[in-house]
Amino acid sequence: MAKHSPVVGRYVTIDVDGYEYKVFYLRNGTGVPLVCQHTAGCHNHQWRGLLEDPEITANYDVIAYDLARHGKSDPPTNREWWKEEYLLTAEHFMNFITIFCEALELERPIFMGSSFGGNVALQLALHHPDKFRAVIPVEAAEHAPGFFLDLWRHPHANAAQVCASGVWDLMAPQSPEMDRWQTWHYYTQGAEVFKGDLHFYSVDHDMRGQLGNIDTRRCPVIMMTGTYDYLTPPDATENTARQIPGGIYIEMEDIGHFPMSENYPLFAVYLKEALHIIENKTASSAPA
Amino acid sequence: MVMSVRDWAVRFSEASDRDQTIGAMAKYFTCTYLWDMGTAKVIVEMIDGKVYRINVDPAPMDAYDFALRASPQTWREFARPIPAPMFHGIWSASFRRDLKIEGNTLALMQNLRNFTVQFELLRKVGVPV
Repeated sequence: MAKHSPVVGRYVTIDVDGYEYKVFYLRNGTGVPLVCQHTAGCHNHQWRGLLEDPEITANYDVIAYDLARHGKSDPPTNREWWKEEYLLTAEHFMNFITIFCEALELERPIFMGSSFGGNVALQLALHHPDKFRAVIPVEAAEHAPGFFLDLWRHPHANAAQVCASGVWDLMAPQSPEMDRWQTWHYYTQGAEVFKGDLHFYSVDHDMRGQLGNIDTRRCPVIMMTGTYDYLTPPDATENTARQIPGGIYIEMEDIGHFPMSENYPLFAVYLKEALHIIENKTASSAPA
Repeated sequence: MVMSVRDWAVRFSEASDRDQTIGAMAKYFTCTYLWDMGTAKVIVEMIDGKVYRINVDPAPMDAYDFALRASPQTWREFARPIPAPMFHGIWSASFRRDLKIEGNTLALMQNLRNFTVQFELLRKVGVPV
């Protein structure tokens, strides 16, 4: 008897700023839409544990897409993309997400992303608070300089291994070896876009001085960071959350920068706490 | 009691040469690097995935491709079975602690997969400081 997963994959074609993208996404569950963004240079398999977690999917419609140029989402089909350097910007990233959610006719989803996905979650809370029920920025901060490096795609090195082993110690040594190597394997597959993603992460994303303008009554912000994250260490996230009026920070012990992928059972404990907070906040703010 | 650097070199060579993860992709793992632990310094010469030589008493003009330099305390933290946060790798310690990575970093990147595995052998082998 074949062992099928309840997770189903589909493609949807969208137009973002004149770029035509055929976007691949995985989906499972029923209830409040929970849209998930993978980390830079990676793809939606990072959310494999969440997508198959029956405790979550009983109440949430979990959707994990591949950002354009990642995984099974191709580069733009209407552009000679190979003739220009890929440098992701906050505006294009946000437009991609909001248009993707509109294409799927999602009603005020919760948005969760890790690393550069966490940083764009902060951007969405500031610029599109009414389009999202809440955001969960994971491993995020107001500013994350230092990772926009030429070494990620240097022609004299094996870029797949450089990217995969370069992020190896973003994970906690306690995380299961199988999951860490699985994450390593994913990272061998995105070497050509990693640096371009990091243009957003380390260069274009800079929310210093803007966090006070986030209205968490319209869009609650629940930030979570692992203690082994050296890129956005816990104090960076905590400092970010503290500047957001009503912002909440949850510290995750003994886990790193890819919590959903490197140790899902541990991440799930914290995620359920975050979702519970959102349930309470959105229930109390719903119109009578 | 701190192990001697000579004993460390023997243990490290054996651990590296027997490591299956390195052995699975060892063919072109070739580079020479310095580990400066403050009170001990070694130059490890790798050829095709095997430890060819460990110089336990480097002279000033002895050559290497790249170097990792940190305090003895940081190297002792690297060698814990489960290192504390920010001591759990060369990237974390260079971003957040006193580890300095110097020299030809491209050579490090060319060998990064195996070098990273080899660095974590310190958790089993220990350090001579």
